[in-house]
Amino acid sequence: MSDVENELRRALRPVDPPAGFAERVMRALPPQRPPATVTPLDIVRTAPRVTAWRRLMTPAALAASLVVAVMLGQQVAFEREQRAGLAASRELMQALRVTSQKLDDAYRAVQSTPPRTQEDEENRS
Amino acid sequence: MNARKALCFTALGLAAMGLASPAMAQTRGQLRLPEFAALAKKATESVNVTLAPQVLGLACRFLDKSEPDEAAAQQICTSLTGIYVRKYSFDTDYAYPKEDIEGVRRQLSAPGWSQLVGARSKKDQTDVDVYLLIDGGQAKSLAIIASEPREFVIVNIVGSIDLEKLHELEGKFGVPELQIEAGEKAPAAKAPAPNK
Repeated sequence: MSDVENELRRALRPVDPPAGFAERVMRALPPQRPPATVTPLDIVRTAPRVTAWRRLMTPAALAASLVVAVMLGQQVAFEREQRAGLAASRELMQALRVTSQKLDDAYRAVQSTPPRTQEDEENRS
Repeated sequence: MNARKALCFTALGLAAMGLASPAMAQTRGQLRLPEFAALAKKATESVNVTLAPQVLGLACRFLDKSEPDEAAAQQICTSLTGIYVRKYSFDTDYAYPKEDIEGVRRQLSAPGWSQLVGARSKKDQTDVDVYLLIDGGQAKSLAIIASEPREFVIVNIVGSIDLEKLHELEGKFGVPELQIEAGEKAPAAKAPAPNK
């Protein structure tokens, strides 16, 4: 063993603490504090409990709004179709009246033509 | 370069097909009627009715069955696919382009169309022509072209025209007795032209 090793062993050998060391360390520590007590504020204490109804209120309101919007949309579409249908039926009746009037003209024109007699046919040929 | 050209031609072809599709979709018996947009401004009275299949179906549903006229119309319109009417009245003689009307008349010389009535009155200067498109022994379209110095009317009714029901219309709209025999093929021969 070398001298250096011997020197290191000597320097690093376990040494007992001096008497009263533990007491001195404990005295140096700050005194132990009692645990903090949490006191809720009045506003927190009086706040109502969140019930199931309150939890469902927002989704229910959203669902109701959606249903109302859909129903309104359907009503608007129905009224639009109603207006378009009535306008189209008026146009249809107008078209049929014009048609019948012109068929009437054609009929009168044909009726006013004297029927061809056999004599006329012979004269033509 | 060739691939690019081919792509261009394909695109042009597809575009042309797209443009042509409404014309191709035109049902048999439907006449190509001019818009007469300029005439509407000049006319003292104008009626421009275009009832395509969907609108016609809607119109039929909204007819009032309690009214005899409308109940009769409902009976007829269910089998129709289109009603097109153009009527213009003017306060001066021949304020409308006759060539537009002749253009419509030319369409009626196509196969299948038969002239039912051709009435010419020199005295009143009125012409009334009634045509039917017959297909498979059934009237598929009706066309009326009536012109007077101050008015012209073009009517095109497309669809299975039930002559029996047309017969039932008589008297309801002032439609006269046309002497149409139900179930028989409509007469293809031209009616005698009066006063000519």
